[in-house]
Amino acid sequence: MENTIEIRHLSKSYGDVPAVSDLSLTVGRGEVFGLLGANGAGKSTAIECALGTRKADSGSVRILGLDPRAQRKTLFERVGVQFQEAHFQDKITVEELCETTRSLYREAADGAALLARFGLSGKEKRPVSELSGGQRQRLFIVLALLPRPEVVFLDELTTGLDAKARRGVWKYLAGLKAEGLTVFLTSHFMDEVEALCDRVCILKGGRQVFCGTVAQTVAAGPGGTLEDAYLWLSGEEGTDDESL
Amino acid sequence: MRAFKAMLKNEMKLSLRGMDMVIFAICAPLAVLVLLGVLYGGSPAFEGAGYTFLEQSFGAVSTIAICAGGVMGLPLVISDYRHKKILKRFQVTPVSPGLLLAVQVCIYAIYALASLLLLYAVGALFFGLRLRGSWGQFLGGYFLVMLSMFSIGMMVGGVAPNTKIAGIIASALYFPMLILSGATLPYEMMPRALQRVSDLLPLTQGIKLLKAAALGDPASDVLVPIIVMAALALACAGVSVRFFRWE
Repeated sequence: MENTIEIRHLSKSYGDVPAVSDLSLTVGRGEVFGLLGANGAGKSTAIECALGTRKADSGSVRILGLDPRAQRKTLFERVGVQFQEAHFQDKITVEELCETTRSLYREAADGAALLARFGLSGKEKRPVSELSGGQRQRLFIVLALLPRPEVVFLDELTTGLDAKARRGVWKYLAGLKAEGLTVFLTSHFMDEVEALCDRVCILKGGRQVFCGTVAQTVAAGPGGTLEDAYLWLSGEEGTDDESL
Repeated sequence: MRAFKAMLKNEMKLSLRGMDMVIFAICAPLAVLVLLGVLYGGSPAFEGAGYTFLEQSFGAVSTIAICAGGVMGLPLVISDYRHKKILKRFQVTPVSPGLLLAVQVCIYAIYALASLLLLYAVGALFFGLRLRGSWGQFLGGYFLVMLSMFSIGMMVGGVAPNTKIAGIIASALYFPMLILSGATLPYEMMPRALQRVSDLLPLTQGIKLLKAAALGDPASDVLVPIIVMAALALACAGVSVRFFRWE
Protein backbone atom coordinates (compact mmCIF):
# COMPACT_ATOMS: atom_id res chain seq x y z
CA MET A 1 0.00 0.00 0.00
CA GLU A 2 1.20 3.48 -0.86
CA ASN A 3 2.22 5.51 2.21
CA THR A 4 0.66 8.95 2.42
CA ILE A 5 2.12 9.85 5.82
CA GLU A 6 5.59 8.78 6.91
CA ILE A 7 7.00 9.89 10.25
CA ARG A 8 10.51 8.64 11.03
CA HIS A 9 12.23 8.92 14.41
CA LEU A 10 10.51 12.18 15.29
CA SER A 11 11.61 13.79 18.56
CA LYS A 12 10.70 17.11 20.10
CA SER A 13 11.52 18.54 23.54
CA TYR A 14 10.47 21.76 25.23
CA GLY A 15 13.57 22.73 27.16
CA ASP A 16 14.55 19.61 29.07
CA VAL A 17 11.08 18.08 28.87
CA PRO A 18 10.67 15.57 26.04
CA ALA A 19 7.21 15.91 24.46
CA VAL A 20 7.65 13.30 21.72
CA SER A 21 10.46 10.75 21.65
CA ASP A 22 11.47 8.73 18.60
CA LEU A 23 8.02 8.46 17.03
CA SER A 24 7.84 6.47 13.81
CA LEU A 25 4.68 5.58 11.95
CA THR A 26 3.27 5.27 8.47
CA VAL A 27 -0.27 5.69 7.23
CA GLY A 28 -1.41 4.26 3.91
CA ARG A 29 -3.75 5.81 1.37
CA GLY A 30 -7.38 5.45 2.32
CA GLU A 31 -6.50 4.47 5.85
CA VAL A 32 -7.93 6.04 9.02
CA PHE A 33 -5.24 6.28 11.64
CA GLY A 34 -5.84 7.19 15.28
CA LEU A 35 -3.19 8.70 17.53
CA LEU A 36 -4.28 8.04 21.10
CA GLY A 37 -3.03 9.01 24.51
CA ALA A 38 -3.93 10.90 27.65
CA ASN A 39 -3.82 14.70 27.80
CA GLY A 40 -0.15 15.68 27.73
CA ALA A 41 0.95 12.41 26.13
CA GLY A 42 2.33 14.34 23.14
CA LYS A 43 -0.44 13.95 20.56
CA SER A 44 -0.73 17.62 19.68
CA THR A 45 3.04 18.07 19.53
CA ALA A 46 3.26 15.05 17.24
CA ILE A 47 0.58 16.48 14.92
CA GLU A 48 2.17 19.93 14.90
CA CYS A 49 5.58 18.50 14.05
CA ALA A 50 3.98 16.35 11.35
CA LEU A 51 2.34 19.46 9.84
CA GLY A 52 5.48 21.54 10.17
CA THR A 53 3.85 24.20 12.35
CA ARG A 54 6.43 23.14 14.93
CA LYS A 55 10.00 22.30 14.09
CA ALA A 56 11.01 18.86 15.29
CA ASP A 57 14.37 18.49 17.02
CA SER A 58 15.15 15.43 14.92
CA GLY A 59 13.52 12.95 12.61
CA SER A 60 11.75 13.39 9.30
CA VAL A 61 8.17 13.77 8.06
CA ARG A 62 6.81 13.16 4.58
CA ILE A 63 3.18 13.69 3.68
CA LEU A 64 2.25 12.67 0.12
CA GLY A 65 6.01 12.43 -0.36
CA LEU A 66 6.46 16.12 0.48
CA ASP A 67 8.32 17.85 3.29
CA PRO A 68 5.70 19.93 5.18
CA ARG A 69 8.15 22.72 6.00
CA ALA A 70 10.10 22.98 2.76
CA GLN A 71 7.16 22.27 0.43
CA ARG A 72 4.41 23.86 2.47
CA LYS A 73 2.52 25.57 -0.34
CA THR A 74 2.37 22.52 -2.60
CA LEU A 75 1.49 20.16 0.22
CA PHE A 76 -1.34 22.15 1.75
CA GLU A 77 -3.22 22.34 -1.55
CA ARG A 78 -3.90 18.66 -0.87
CA VAL A 79 -4.09 18.45 2.92
CA GLY A 80 -6.86 19.66 5.23
CA VAL A 81 -6.33 20.40 8.90
CA GLN A 82 -8.65 20.84 11.85
CA PHE A 83 -6.83 22.02 14.95
CA GLN A 84 -8.00 21.14 18.42
CA GLU A 85 -9.06 24.73 19.05
CA ALA A 86 -10.86 26.92 16.57
CA HIS A 87 -8.97 30.05 15.55
CA PHE A 88 -10.81 32.79 13.67
CA GLN A 89 -10.97 36.54 13.23
CA ASP A 90 -13.17 38.66 15.51
CA LYS A 91 -16.65 39.26 14.12
CA ILE A 92 -16.12 37.04 11.06
CA THR A 93 -19.23 35.24 9.80
CA VAL A 94 -19.55 31.61 8.75
CA GLU A 95 -19.90 32.61 5.11
CA GLU A 96 -16.89 34.93 5.16
CA LEU A 97 -14.71 32.32 6.80
CA CYS A 98 -15.73 29.73 4.22
CA GLU A 99 -15.25 32.11 1.32
CA THR A 100 -11.80 33.22 2.50
CA THR A 101 -10.72 29.63 3.09
CA ARG A 102 -12.00 28.47 -0.30
CA SER A 103 -10.18 31.27 -2.08
CA LEU A 104 -6.83 29.94 -0.85
CA TYR A 105 -7.12 26.72 -2.86
CA ARG A 106 -7.00 26.11 -6.58
CA GLU A 107 -9.93 23.69 -6.55
CA ALA A 108 -12.05 23.98 -3.46
CA ALA A 109 -15.20 22.05 -2.70
CA ASP A 110 -18.66 23.65 -2.74
CA GLY A 111 -18.89 25.45 0.59
CA ALA A 112 -22.69 25.62 0.75
CA ALA A 113 -23.07 21.89 0.10
CA LEU A 114 -20.58 20.99 2.82
CA LEU A 115 -22.22 23.35 5.30
CA ALA A 116 -25.57 21.73 4.53
CA ARG A 117 -24.08 18.26 4.90
CA PHE A 118 -22.81 19.20 8.37
CA GLY A 119 -26.09 20.74 9.49
CA LEU A 120 -25.00 24.37 9.19
CA SER A 121 -27.40 25.62 6.51
CA GLY A 122 -29.00 28.87 7.51
CA LYS A 123 -26.04 29.79 9.71
CA GLU A 124 -24.09 31.52 6.91
CA LYS A 125 -24.65 35.06 8.19
CA ARG A 126 -23.99 34.22 11.82
CA PRO A 127 -20.74 35.35 13.46
CA VAL A 128 -18.56 32.30 14.13
CA SER A 129 -18.14 33.46 17.72
CA GLU A 130 -21.90 33.09 18.29
CA LEU A 131 -22.07 29.47 17.15
CA SER A 132 -22.48 26.77 19.78
CA GLY A 133 -19.46 24.61 20.56
CA GLY A 134 -20.79 21.77 18.46
CA GLN A 135 -21.65 24.00 15.50
CA ARG A 136 -18.21 25.55 15.57
CA GLN A 137 -16.61 22.12 15.73
CA ARG A 138 -18.58 21.05 12.66
CA LEU A 139 -17.68 24.29 10.86
CA PHE A 140 -13.98 23.62 11.34
CA ILE A 141 -14.39 20.09 10.02
CA VAL A 142 -16.03 21.69 6.97
CA LEU A 143 -13.04 24.04 6.60
CA ALA A 144 -10.65 21.07 6.77
CA LEU A 145 -12.60 19.36 3.98
CA LEU A 146 -12.93 22.45 1.73
CA PRO A 147 -9.63 21.86 -0.14
CA ARG A 148 -10.95 18.42 -1.30
CA PRO A 149 -7.99 16.99 0.58
CA GLU A 150 -6.23 13.70 -0.04
CA VAL A 151 -5.16 13.67 3.60
CA VAL A 152 -6.99 15.25 6.50
CA PHE A 153 -5.69 15.83 10.03
CA LEU A 154 -8.41 16.04 12.66
CA ASP A 155 -7.32 16.87 16.20
CA GLU A 156 -10.10 15.82 18.58
CA LEU A 157 -12.56 15.29 15.82
CA THR A 158 -15.91 15.23 17.60
CA THR A 159 -15.24 16.76 21.01
CA GLY A 160 -18.33 18.76 21.92
CA LEU A 161 -20.66 17.11 19.41
CA ASP A 162 -23.91 15.42 20.40
CA ALA A 163 -24.51 11.74 19.65
CA LYS A 164 -26.40 12.32 16.42
CA ALA A 165 -23.88 14.78 15.05
CA ARG A 166 -21.00 12.41 15.84
CA ARG A 167 -22.68 9.62 13.91
CA GLY A 168 -23.22 11.99 11.00
CA VAL A 169 -19.55 13.00 10.96
CA TRP A 170 -18.41 9.36 11.14
CA LYS A 171 -20.66 8.39 8.28
CA TYR A 172 -19.44 11.24 6.12
CA LEU A 173 -15.78 10.44 6.81
CA ALA A 174 -16.41 6.77 6.06
CA GLY A 175 -17.76 7.82 2.68
CA LEU A 176 -14.67 9.95 1.94
CA LYS A 177 -12.42 7.12 3.10
CA ALA A 178 -14.08 4.85 0.57
CA GLU A 179 -13.08 7.40 -2.07
CA GLY A 180 -9.46 7.19 -0.93
CA LEU A 181 -9.18 9.93 1.72
CA THR A 182 -6.48 9.32 4.32
CA VAL A 183 -7.45 10.42 7.83
CA PHE A 184 -5.11 11.09 10.73
CA LEU A 185 -7.08 11.78 13.89
CA THR A 186 -6.80 12.05 17.62
CA SER A 187 -9.71 11.23 19.88
CA HIS A 188 -10.53 10.53 23.48
CA PHE A 189 -13.59 8.48 22.56
CA MET A 190 -12.91 4.80 22.07
CA ASP A 191 -16.27 4.17 20.43
CA GLU A 192 -15.27 6.71 17.81
CA VAL A 193 -11.85 5.13 17.34
CA GLU A 194 -13.49 1.73 16.98
CA ALA A 195 -16.03 3.03 14.48
CA LEU A 196 -13.50 4.88 12.32
CA CYS A 197 -9.92 3.72 12.71
CA ASP A 198 -8.12 0.97 10.88
CA ARG A 199 -5.00 1.30 12.99
CA VAL A 200 -4.03 3.16 16.13
CA CYS A 201 -0.88 4.22 17.91
CA ILE A 202 -0.93 4.85 21.66
CA LEU A 203 1.40 7.45 23.15
CA LYS A 204 2.46 7.61 26.76
CA GLY A 205 4.83 10.31 27.96
CA GLY A 206 5.75 11.05 24.35
CA ARG A 207 6.73 7.46 23.53
CA GLN A 208 4.73 5.05 21.43
CA VAL A 209 3.73 2.15 23.64
CA PHE A 210 1.58 0.28 21.14
CA CYS A 211 0.81 0.40 17.43
CA GLY A 212 -1.51 -1.93 15.61
CA THR A 213 -4.94 -2.54 14.18
CA VAL A 214 -7.97 -1.99 16.37
CA ALA A 215 -8.39 -5.79 16.69
CA GLN A 216 -4.74 -6.21 17.71
CA THR A 217 -5.15 -3.44 20.26
CA VAL A 218 -8.21 -5.06 21.80
CA ALA A 219 -6.39 -8.39 21.94
CA ALA A 220 -3.38 -6.82 23.66
CA GLY A 221 -5.53 -5.57 26.52
CA PRO A 222 -6.92 -7.41 29.53
CA GLY A 223 -10.62 -6.83 29.08
CA GLY A 224 -11.92 -7.47 25.63
CA THR A 225 -12.94 -3.92 24.81
CA LEU A 226 -10.88 -1.20 23.13
CA GLU A 227 -11.31 1.06 26.11
CA ASP A 228 -9.91 -1.58 28.50
CA ALA A 229 -6.98 -2.11 26.18
CA TYR A 230 -6.39 1.64 25.77
CA LEU A 231 -6.44 2.32 29.50
CA TRP A 232 -4.19 -0.64 30.19
CA LEU A 233 -1.69 0.14 27.41
CA SER A 234 -1.57 3.87 28.02
CA GLY A 235 -1.07 3.28 31.75
CA GLU A 236 -4.13 5.35 32.56
CA GLU A 237 -5.81 2.52 34.40
CA GLY A 238 -5.40 2.81 38.15
CA THR A 239 -4.37 6.45 38.17
CA ASP A 240 -8.02 7.09 37.54
CA ASP A 241 -9.31 5.51 40.73
CA GLU A 242 -6.70 7.22 42.85
CA SER A 243 -7.54 10.69 41.64
CA LEU A 244 -11.23 10.05 42.00
CA MET B 1 -5.26 36.97 -7.38
CA ARG B 2 -8.56 35.31 -6.50
CA ALA B 3 -7.31 34.67 -2.97
CA PHE B 4 -6.12 38.27 -2.70
CA LYS B 5 -9.49 39.68 -3.78
CA ALA B 6 -11.55 37.41 -1.52
CA MET B 7 -9.33 38.10 1.45
CA LEU B 8 -9.21 41.83 0.80
CA LYS B 9 -12.99 42.00 0.61
CA ASN B 10 -13.56 40.05 3.80
CA GLU B 11 -10.72 41.60 5.79
CA MET B 12 -11.93 45.07 4.76
CA LYS B 13 -15.41 44.20 6.02
CA LEU B 14 -13.95 42.96 9.31
CA SER B 15 -11.88 46.11 9.67
CA LEU B 16 -14.91 48.35 9.05
CA ARG B 17 -16.90 46.33 11.59
CA GLY B 18 -14.11 47.01 14.09
CA MET B 19 -14.59 50.82 13.61
CA ASP B 20 -11.14 51.71 15.05
CA MET B 21 -9.73 52.82 11.74
CA VAL B 22 -12.86 54.73 10.78
CA ILE B 23 -12.30 56.79 13.91
CA PHE B 24 -8.52 57.13 13.86
CA ALA B 25 -7.87 57.29 10.12
CA ILE B 26 -11.01 58.98 8.77
CA CYS B 27 -12.64 61.03 11.54
CA ALA B 28 -9.55 62.17 13.47
CA PRO B 29 -7.72 63.83 10.55
CA LEU B 30 -10.98 65.40 9.38
CA ALA B 31 -11.47 66.91 12.85
CA VAL B 32 -7.93 68.34 12.79
CA LEU B 33 -8.47 69.83 9.34
CA VAL B 34 -11.79 71.40 10.27
CA LEU B 35 -10.27 72.79 13.45
CA LEU B 36 -7.35 74.35 11.59
CA GLY B 37 -9.73 75.60 8.94
CA VAL B 38 -12.03 77.27 11.44
CA LEU B 39 -9.13 78.76 13.42
CA TYR B 40 -6.84 79.92 10.62
CA GLY B 41 -9.07 79.48 7.59
CA GLY B 42 -7.93 81.45 4.60
CA SER B 43 -5.35 83.59 6.37
CA PRO B 44 -1.85 83.49 4.88
CA ALA B 45 0.67 81.09 6.45
CA PHE B 46 2.80 84.07 7.50
CA GLU B 47 3.13 87.79 6.64
CA GLY B 48 3.38 88.04 2.89
CA ALA B 49 3.11 84.30 2.21
CA GLY B 50 1.63 83.31 -1.14
CA TYR B 51 -0.38 80.46 0.38
CA THR B 52 -2.75 80.00 3.30
CA PHE B 53 -2.04 78.41 6.65
CA LEU B 54 -4.33 75.53 5.82
CA GLU B 55 -2.57 74.91 2.52
CA GLN B 56 0.71 74.79 4.39
CA SER B 57 -0.74 72.24 6.85
CA PHE B 58 -2.59 70.09 4.34
CA GLY B 59 0.33 67.75 3.64
CA ALA B 60 0.88 67.20 7.33
CA VAL B 61 -2.77 66.54 8.18
CA SER B 62 -3.07 64.12 5.28
CA THR B 63 -0.46 61.85 6.89
CA ILE B 64 -2.51 61.24 10.06
CA ALA B 65 -4.39 58.42 8.35
CA ILE B 66 -1.15 56.88 7.09
CA CYS B 67 0.23 57.07 10.58
CA ALA B 68 -2.85 55.57 12.22
CA GLY B 69 -3.01 52.70 9.76
CA GLY B 70 0.67 52.06 9.37
CA VAL B 71 1.96 52.46 12.86
CA MET B 72 -1.15 51.47 14.85
CA GLY B 73 -3.50 49.35 12.70
CA LEU B 74 -0.99 47.26 10.80
CA PRO B 75 1.25 46.08 13.66
CA LEU B 76 -1.74 45.41 15.90
CA VAL B 77 -3.64 43.32 13.35
CA ILE B 78 -0.55 41.26 12.53
CA SER B 79 0.33 40.53 16.14
CA ASP B 80 -3.33 39.95 17.00
CA TYR B 81 -3.70 37.38 14.21
CA ARG B 82 -0.54 35.69 15.37
CA HIS B 83 -1.68 35.72 19.00
CA LYS B 84 -5.10 34.31 18.13
CA LYS B 85 -3.36 31.62 16.04
CA ILE B 86 -5.17 32.73 12.93
CA LEU B 87 -1.78 32.83 11.21
CA LYS B 88 -1.19 29.27 12.38
CA ARG B 89 -4.34 28.19 10.60
CA PHE B 90 -3.15 30.00 7.47
CA GLN B 91 0.17 28.20 7.81
CA VAL B 92 -1.54 24.89 6.98
CA THR B 93 -3.03 26.32 3.77
CA PRO B 94 -1.20 27.21 0.54
CA VAL B 95 -1.30 30.97 1.25
CA SER B 96 2.01 32.87 1.32
CA PRO B 97 2.97 35.29 4.11
CA GLY B 98 3.50 37.94 1.45
CA LEU B 99 -0.14 37.74 0.36
CA LEU B 100 -1.41 38.02 3.94
CA LEU B 101 0.74 41.10 4.52
CA ALA B 102 -0.20 42.60 1.15
CA VAL B 103 -3.92 42.31 1.98
CA GLN B 104 -3.46 44.22 5.23
CA VAL B 105 -1.22 46.85 3.62
CA CYS B 106 -3.85 47.33 0.94
CA ILE B 107 -6.60 47.87 3.53
CA TYR B 108 -4.67 50.61 5.30
CA ALA B 109 -3.74 52.17 1.96
CA ILE B 110 -7.46 52.34 1.14
CA TYR B 111 -8.15 54.12 4.44
CA ALA B 112 -5.29 56.56 3.79
CA LEU B 113 -6.47 57.39 0.26
CA ALA B 114 -10.09 57.73 1.39
CA SER B 115 -8.94 60.10 4.10
CA LEU B 116 -6.85 62.12 1.62
CA LEU B 117 -9.80 62.51 -0.75
CA LEU B 118 -12.15 63.48 2.05
CA LEU B 119 -9.71 66.02 3.50
CA TYR B 120 -9.11 67.65 0.14
CA ALA B 121 -12.81 67.76 -0.68
CA VAL B 122 -13.76 69.33 2.65
CA GLY B 123 -10.77 71.71 2.57
CA ALA B 124 -11.54 72.84 -0.99
CA LEU B 125 -15.27 73.16 -0.43
CA PHE B 126 -15.27 75.00 2.89
CA PHE B 127 -11.87 76.62 3.34
CA GLY B 128 -10.74 77.50 -0.18
CA LEU B 129 -7.92 74.95 -0.09
CA ARG B 130 -6.07 74.17 -3.29
CA LEU B 131 -2.90 72.34 -4.14
CA ARG B 132 -0.31 74.78 -5.50
CA GLY B 133 2.25 72.19 -6.54
CA SER B 134 1.64 69.22 -8.79
CA TRP B 135 -0.71 66.40 -7.86
CA GLY B 136 1.74 63.94 -9.36
CA GLN B 137 4.50 65.05 -7.04
CA PHE B 138 2.15 65.16 -4.07
CA LEU B 139 0.83 61.64 -4.68
CA GLY B 140 4.36 60.36 -5.28
CA GLY B 141 5.37 61.76 -1.92
CA TYR B 142 2.20 60.42 -0.33
CA PHE B 143 2.94 56.88 -1.50
CA LEU B 144 6.52 57.15 -0.33
CA VAL B 145 5.39 58.20 3.15
CA MET B 146 2.88 55.36 3.10
CA LEU B 147 5.53 52.87 2.07
CA SER B 148 7.89 53.84 4.85
CA MET B 149 5.25 54.11 7.58
CA PHE B 150 3.66 50.80 6.58
CA SER B 151 6.99 49.04 6.51
CA ILE B 152 7.69 50.29 10.05
CA GLY B 153 4.31 48.87 11.05
CA MET B 154 4.94 45.52 9.39
CA MET B 155 8.28 45.32 11.11
CA VAL B 156 6.78 46.05 14.53
CA GLY B 157 4.00 43.52 13.95
CA GLY B 158 6.55 41.02 12.72
CA VAL B 159 9.12 41.25 15.50
CA ALA B 160 7.00 42.09 18.57
CA PRO B 161 6.80 38.92 20.68
CA ASN B 162 3.15 39.47 21.64
CA THR B 163 0.15 41.74 21.19
CA LYS B 164 0.84 43.68 24.35
CA ILE B 165 4.38 44.60 23.36
CA ALA B 166 3.22 45.36 19.82
CA GLY B 167 0.68 47.75 21.34
CA ILE B 168 3.34 49.44 23.47
CA ILE B 169 5.77 49.85 20.57
CA ALA B 170 2.96 51.08 18.34
CA SER B 171 1.92 53.70 20.89
CA ALA B 172 5.54 54.71 21.47
CA LEU B 173 5.88 55.36 17.75
CA TYR B 174 2.40 56.68 17.02
CA PHE B 175 1.83 59.38 19.60
CA PRO B 176 5.23 61.14 19.48
CA MET B 177 5.14 61.05 15.69
CA LEU B 178 1.62 62.35 15.56
CA ILE B 179 2.34 65.21 17.94
CA LEU B 180 5.92 66.12 17.06
CA SER B 181 6.11 65.54 13.33
CA GLY B 182 3.76 68.34 12.46
CA ALA B 183 0.83 66.07 11.60
CA THR B 184 -1.35 67.68 14.26
CA LEU B 185 0.66 70.51 15.83
CA PRO B 186 2.03 72.57 12.92
CA TYR B 187 5.82 72.30 12.62
CA GLU B 188 6.06 76.03 12.00
CA MET B 189 4.61 76.78 15.42
CA MET B 190 7.14 74.68 17.32
CA PRO B 191 10.12 76.27 19.11
CA ARG B 192 13.49 75.70 17.39
CA ALA B 193 14.62 73.07 19.92
CA LEU B 194 11.50 70.99 19.37
CA GLN B 195 11.86 71.33 15.60
CA ARG B 196 15.30 69.76 15.85
CA VAL B 197 13.89 66.75 17.73
CA SER B 198 11.06 66.59 15.27
CA ASP B 199 13.52 66.52 12.35
CA LEU B 200 14.76 63.13 13.55
CA LEU B 201 11.35 61.51 13.09
CA PRO B 202 10.85 59.85 9.71
CA LEU B 203 7.32 61.20 9.47
CA THR B 204 8.66 64.77 9.73
CA GLN B 205 10.80 64.10 6.68
CA GLY B 206 7.75 62.74 4.88
CA ILE B 207 5.68 65.76 5.78
CA LYS B 208 8.38 68.09 4.46
CA LEU B 209 8.18 66.21 1.20
CA LEU B 210 4.41 66.59 1.01
CA LYS B 211 4.54 70.23 2.01
CA ALA B 212 7.01 71.00 -0.75
CA ALA B 213 4.79 69.22 -3.26
CA ALA B 214 1.62 70.91 -1.97
CA LEU B 215 3.13 74.38 -2.08
CA GLY B 216 5.05 73.86 -5.31
CA ASP B 217 8.50 74.35 -3.74
CA PRO B 218 11.52 73.40 -5.87
CA ALA B 219 12.56 69.77 -5.69
CA SER B 220 16.09 70.42 -4.42
CA ASP B 221 14.89 70.78 -0.84
CA VAL B 222 13.31 67.37 -0.83
CA LEU B 223 16.21 65.13 -1.77
CA VAL B 224 17.14 64.36 1.85
CA PRO B 225 13.58 63.39 2.87
CA ILE B 226 13.24 61.16 -0.20
CA ILE B 227 16.45 59.33 0.59
CA VAL B 228 15.59 58.97 4.29
CA MET B 229 12.09 57.65 3.57
CA ALA B 230 13.14 55.20 0.87
CA ALA B 231 16.02 53.81 2.92
CA LEU B 232 13.76 53.35 5.92
CA ALA B 233 11.11 51.58 3.84
CA LEU B 234 13.66 49.18 2.38
CA ALA B 235 15.25 48.37 5.73
CA CYS B 236 11.98 47.78 7.59
CA ALA B 237 10.35 45.78 4.80
CA GLY B 238 13.45 43.58 4.63
CA VAL B 239 13.37 42.96 8.37
CA SER B 240 9.63 42.22 8.42
CA VAL B 241 9.80 39.64 5.63
CA ARG B 242 13.00 38.08 6.98
CA PHE B 243 11.59 37.69 10.49
CA PHE B 244 7.99 36.81 9.64
CA ARG B 245 6.65 34.24 12.11
CA TRP B 246 3.40 32.34 11.84
CA GLU B 247 3.22 31.65 15.53
